[in-house]
Amino acid sequence: MKILLVEDDRRASEYLAKGLRELGHVVEQAFDGESGLKAAETATYDVLVLDRMLPKLDGLEIVKRLRAAGSAVPMLILSALDEVDERIQGLRAGGDDYLAKPYHLEELAARLDALARRQHEPGAVGKLKIADLELDARARRVTRAGRKIELTAREFQLLEFLMRHAGQVVTRTMILEGVWDYHFDPKTNVIDVHISRLRQAIDKGFERHLLHTVRGAGYTLTEDP
Amino acid sequence: MASVTFARSSIARLAFLQGMLLALAMVAVLGGVYFTTLRIIAADGDQSIALEAQGLAEEFRDRDLDAFVTSIVDRAEDPWVRGGVYELRGPRGDFLAGNVVVLPDLVLLPGGWAEFDVAVTRGDANASRLIRSKVLELGGGFRLLVGHDVQDRRAFRAVMLRSIAWAVVVALLFGLFAGWWLGKRISRAAHGISDSAGRIAAGSLGERLPLTGSGDEIDALVGRFNELLGRVETLTTTMRAVLDSTAHDLRGHLNRIRGAAQDSRRAATEPAQAAAADAVIGEIDRLGDTLQGLLRIALAESGTAPLEDVDLSAVATDLIEFYQPLAEAGQLSVTVEPALTVRGHRQLLSQALANLLDNALKYGRGTPISASLTREAGFARLEVTDRGPGIPVEHRELATQRFRRLPGSSGLPGSGLGLSLVAAVARLHHARLELGDAAPGLKVVLEIPTVASG
Repeated sequence: MKILLVEDDRRASEYLAKGLRELGHVVEQAFDGESGLKAAETATYDVLVLDRMLPKLDGLEIVKRLRAAGSAVPMLILSALDEVDERIQGLRAGGDDYLAKPYHLEELAARLDALARRQHEPGAVGKLKIADLELDARARRVTRAGRKIELTAREFQLLEFLMRHAGQVVTRTMILEGVWDYHFDPKTNVIDVHISRLRQAIDKGFERHLLHTVRGAGYTLTEDP
Repeated sequence: MASVTFARSSIARLAFLQGMLLALAMVAVLGGVYFTTLRIIAADGDQSIALEAQGLAEEFRDRDLDAFVTSIVDRAEDPWVRGGVYELRGPRGDFLAGNVVVLPDLVLLPGGWAEFDVAVTRGDANASRLIRSKVLELGGGFRLLVGHDVQDRRAFRAVMLRSIAWAVVVALLFGLFAGWWLGKRISRAAHGISDSAGRIAAGSLGERLPLTGSGDEIDALVGRFNELLGRVETLTTTMRAVLDSTAHDLRGHLNRIRGAAQDSRRAATEPAQAAAADAVIGEIDRLGDTLQGLLRIALAESGTAPLEDVDLSAVATDLIEFYQPLAEAGQLSVTVEPALTVRGHRQLLSQALANLLDNALKYGRGTPISASLTREAGFARLEVTDRGPGIPVEHRELATQRFRRLPGSSGLPGSGLGLSLVAAVARLHHARLELGDAAPGLKVVLEIPTVASG
């Protein structure tokens, strides 16, 4: 994945670039708003990572200009301002995701992965399928090996979220934000308990497990772990 | 509202006091004038009666009885022209001369003074006139009554009393009106101050009170109040700016440190190095959480958080459902009334309720927990109760302060910010927060004003 990182904090940028490169990504760096915008306009990237506050040109401004110019590249805004309302501003400006500092490298990587892959998806289709697990979003119906599985409304949403990110790692924070729209850390293992309930529902009795825990990062729904 | 009834009663009190004082002053002044005038008039009248009586007494001594009687008869002939009243009695009480017959029954005051009414026929009209008289012992058993018509004095007294009564009534009304007007003016000013203080407390820091331009004490007070607001605004803006830039700066630093720690974690070859890096990362994350907690409290307390209509019932239902899996079977009992809407900040409300549920589950340690949201008159009542150790009365105040962790909770995870966030969110929503005793256990009640439709 080719990533443009626009961050004026050089040391933070170096650590992040190094971390992302170690995960196998190609990272190009810009250290102020103007050169960041120029780079985004001249080269093609899979995803942009923009700091919220940048010298010369604000991160939100870059997002707005690129979107106005018709760019559809996924953009993630990094910010040391984490008020929940700031986040809404970032998303409203055209950003696809928002992450507050200090961030976990794994969290950022997982989100970038999700953003980049969403690009290649054929939009919101009604039916999702992994191995013999099928989910029909319109009919609100889930089957495994043809057998119907009963889920609560929230379990259904959780499964749909995981299936839309099938094969990727989703973090607990991503689940909290994506399924519940909560922007605080519940400080308990409550997400794990929700996941294990879902696992009971979809994997119990099957030899091949689909829902896996990724140590130190989150969860993944995949055929081949 | 309490403030309104207070203001009304203070106006009424002021008006009543003003009216009473003015009326009392009127009574005192006019009463003084009344009694003095009456005394002067009375003294004047008494003196002329005494002079005439003295003259007659000398005449009685100097002349013989027949001439004296004739003189009295002359004087008594046309009493209402001169206004004189006479009655002369002999030693055996026999009537000798005069134009009235009152002496035998007359009760005398010291000095021989007496007052009585006589009926007078003038034309066809009967009138009663007041007579003031002096009775003289002339010697040899002769008694003479000399009196003057003082009916005018009585009329004067009546006019005077009527005037005073009117003056008092007018003074009372005027005083009441003046008091009401003054009270109204003061109360309007007080209300203005109280209303904008309320709006300012709710975060509208740019607000100022209008000056009336009269330059009076109320204007001076308003001016001072505005000065104070200016200072508060400057301080708050500065504080927020400092807080924002400090938070921004700290987050940047934390981010770099975290980057460095994670870098060395990945580069670690020895388990000991990895463990050390993990410990550092753990501490950085805790610091980050604390910072975020403080910033959320600051956001709630600044009153600048944007508010919207929030379906509290939906928020509560979602959160309870979210935490439900952590409870044991049958541990959590829930009552949520639908469609309770409050003016609020969804994320902060969610987080406050999450903190309450998290606390109940953490400190309740498997004991029954109840969570309820009910509709009351004008507010939504949220109650979360556990059957854990509770918080002793003396620690309840402390529990909502930042970083205060109660004795006995040191073994449990927590930042010491949970209940302070709840308290800050309560203030932002003009809600009442109460930590009570569930005997045993903690009962937290949050009463949030609902919007009219909800």
